Amino acid sequence: MTSDRQTSEMILSARDICLSRDGNRLLDSVSLDIRRGSITFLLGYNGAGKTLLLSCLHGLLELESGSVDAPPRDRQKMVFQKPIIMRRTAAGHLRFVCPGVAETELADWMKRAGIQDRTSAPARALSGGEQQKLALIGALATKPDILFLDEPTAHLDFAATKFVEDMIREAHAAGTTIVMTTHNRSQAERLGQDVLFLDGGRLVEAAPAATFFKAPGHALTRQYLEHL
Amino acid sequence: MDFLTPFQIALTLLANGDPELMSIIGLSLTVSMTAVATSLLIGLPLGAILAAYRFPGRTPLIVISNTFLGMPPVVIGLLIYLLISRAGPFGFLGILYTPAAMMIAQTVLVLPISIALSRQAFEALNAEYAPLFQSLGLGRLTRIRTLVFEARATLLTIALVCFGRAISEVGAVMIVGGNIRHSTRVMTTSIALATSMGELAFAMALGIVLLLVALVVNIASQILRNSLRNFGHDV
Repeated sequence: MTSDRQTSEMILSARDICLSRDGNRLLDSVSLDIRRGSITFLLGYNGAGKTLLLSCLHGLLELESGSVDAPPRDRQKMVFQKPIIMRRTAAGHLRFVCPGVAETELADWMKRAGIQDRTSAPARALSGGEQQKLALIGALATKPDILFLDEPTAHLDFAATKFVEDMIREAHAAGTTIVMTTHNRSQAERLGQDVLFLDGGRLVEAAPAATFFKAPGHALTRQYLEHL
Repeated sequence: MDFLTPFQIALTLLANGDPELMSIIGLSLTVSMTAVATSLLIGLPLGAILAAYRFPGRTPLIVISNTFLGMPPVVIGLLIYLLISRAGPFGFLGILYTPAAMMIAQTVLVLPISIALSRQAFEALNAEYAPLFQSLGLGRLTRIRTLVFEARATLLTIALVCFGRAISEVGAVMIVGGNIRHSTRVMTTSIALATSMGELAFAMALGIVLLLVALVVNIASQILRNSLRNFGHDV
């Protein structure tokens, strides 16, 4: 990161994160900083360790070594690539993941997501796109300080993707820090302010989005961008 | 014996509302449902804990519980008998040859089933929900309570399996209940007695009644499952 960026307030800092499974090093001494109020993209090939790193930053996985300094758990939220949906109605699911949020506010979120007619439907009977919207508004309704999104628009159609991106922009404008993964270069260019590039469990490059896409500093990054 | 005779006897007994038969059916249902309820009250939280947490002694607990799955009912009956007979450590309770003793025997019999099946159900569910639970920072009790609620339809099936096992049991309840007329005689012990007395048609008729009772319980549970579906569960 550049010097002026280092002076920005960091909402999350990770130092020397290592993670292994079955003797394989999956994350190798990853250190990074996330600026408060930024939208940061984690990019990399399949199996590079993006989801694992996101899970470590959110505190879902026990680190082999290293540390993560992040906001308290109740100020963080994560939306998984395959949404985890409860066996209850759509409204019941929202109530469960958003404890303390008023019913009228939840109804308003469902209306904004265009799923207000599905309130009483079994949440798991919703379409994939509707489930992803439900998971996203479930995270946003609590107004977290930092939101982790694992490929939130994978398998979504154009309209659903636009909704998710609009919601991300809105949350960002309201002060939520966003950390997300994607394989969609144009999405990262549209939304991203910072980019972290992972390869084989190592953090290869960390740069502002404009620099990353126009003048990548590492050979592996250039090679990756040629494939995107 | 004519093939249709047992059916005719069964229908006649039911149609006439035979007081002794009704009393036997009532006691059978009371004993078995109490045993199932007790075993679920103990077994479901245990199954959830075994599924959701790793702790010292977990594996031995699972092995012991699974071993009891294969325990012959007569051995369970004998163990309970030794415990509650006058010379036993719980003899002071004076419950030998009472419905209470039969409830305890059936509870011990179906408890391993409720633990093993609920553990299996909770393990699958916990694997699916664990990241969300962790992300939401849920405490242990909330996690277990949520798992039990989310598995409600599966748990109904487990309750049915336990009920089927309990109400069809004969060896253990015979030992601790004594098959005393108007006191501890249930459907299975009545069938055993009628068979030993050569009243095969009557025994078969009781068997048919037992099946009818099981049918009614299953229909009721199916209705309950449907209402759970309306409650938002993909059963």
